[in-house]
Amino acid sequence: MVGLIVKDLMTIQRQMKAQAFVVLFLLAMAIFMQQSAMLLAVIVFIVTIQAITALAYDEQSSWDKYANTLPISKGDIILSKYILSVLLMIIGLIVALPIIFFINLFTNHGDTTEFFLTFNLIVAFALSLLAILLPIYIKFGSIKGRIVLIALCFIPGFLFGMFNEYIPDMAVTFLNLKPFIYVAPFAGLLMLWLSSLISTVIYKRKEF
Amino acid sequence: MNAIEIHDLHKVFEGFSLKDVSFSVPQGTVMGFVGENGAGKSTTIKCMLNLLKKEYGEILLFGQDHVEHELSIKTDIGVVFDDLHVPETLNATQLDKIMKKVFKTWDTGYYFERLAQFNVPKRKKIKELSRGMRMKLSIALALAHHPKLLILDEPTSGLDPIIRDDILDLFLEFMQDETHSILFSSHITSDLEKIADYITLIHNGEILLSESKDALLYDYGIFKGNSEEVNELPEHAILRKRHGAFGVEALVLKNEVNEAFRLEKPSIEDIMLFYVKGSV
Repeated sequence: MVGLIVKDLMTIQRQMKAQAFVVLFLLAMAIFMQQSAMLLAVIVFIVTIQAITALAYDEQSSWDKYANTLPISKGDIILSKYILSVLLMIIGLIVALPIIFFINLFTNHGDTTEFFLTFNLIVAFALSLLAILLPIYIKFGSIKGRIVLIALCFIPGFLFGMFNEYIPDMAVTFLNLKPFIYVAPFAGLLMLWLSSLISTVIYKRKEF
Repeated sequence: MNAIEIHDLHKVFEGFSLKDVSFSVPQGTVMGFVGENGAGKSTTIKCMLNLLKKEYGEILLFGQDHVEHELSIKTDIGVVFDDLHVPETLNATQLDKIMKKVFKTWDTGYYFERLAQFNVPKRKKIKELSRGMRMKLSIALALAHHPKLLILDEPTSGLDPIIRDDILDLFLEFMQDETHSILFSSHITSDLEKIADYITLIHNGEILLSESKDALLYDYGIFKGNSEEVNELPEHAILRKRHGAFGVEALVLKNEVNEAFRLEKPSIEDIMLFYVKGSV
């Protein structure tokens, strides 16, 4: 399994280098706009989403056909993608956090509690996004996966529009949820774990 | 012991099925697996590797069930497909680092020796390599953990005769160890004539014959003549007949035919054509 993670990191290496320029540009913007939370969100998402890029590279080269001739179990093949995505998120945080503290030091956005809440929300959201995306991409591949993803983005919006009047005020709901934000990353991890179980079942049924 | 044993393998797709495929590859031998495109060679191989799930049947590799002992079996096999299926942004040196983590028996020295022998660049990205280079890299990857069984699915298709000859030499070298075995699927029958000990012919998802190559080449003969002349051949000696523009050709058992009939020595390709396009 270590071999698979090493392979994915090597595969997306160039992509990561290319993204570094985007991050530099955003860094300049964040300093200019004094918006450190935005920078954190963007860095975490760009880096985390590379797990999907790794899946796309695998699909392009029919890697799974080859990987399944090696002495690696199907469960490990899937688990490696999830570990990779969490690893990438940690790398993203390690890159982003010092920059953000630096920005906060020189701006007025020094409220640590507020920042901690934002941090928790971003991490939880990134983990949930992965928990939803990975099984979809593993099941449908990257082209169909994208279509399913777009559909998934529209359906909640559509439902929200349809039943708007029955839904309580969002701002109030969020305020009520505030105490739970501290556990949000753990909920995200739980979702990711459940998602990995689903992906393994999907992958075991696949033929190559 | 048999390196590969397949009994009544059955797999159904829309418009195609493998029907009760059975054959075996004795340890220490090379089995040539021939058939036209779409005959079922790759499907059989994918079932063996559990890339496709069989409907029913039994597949034993090194005497063990291929699903139950999947991982331990896969440490002892090397697989080469008709292309190299690894992300194209990687290079040969990176693949070495990855494979070291996959196989305990990975032999970096041997791997780089093969790359040097084949002039495969170590640091060039896979997408920049020619087809021949990719196949050579694929073969070096399949050999460097010192497997006992090579499963080759059209490894020489689309390659020029010089590269094919290099590759066949490497397989012959691999066979110097008498515990090693190869299943070599190809429709380039001349390659199989060079290295195979046995030939299995598949057509439309069914095994038509599975025999020793020498028996095929020395026990069989081709008689060419008109219909009356062919009718004079003993009926039990005729395996297959083909009607062409210049008369009739018959594939016969050499020992069952009187020496007065002039017989030609068949090639694997001739035998394949008789079985696939001929009639009984």
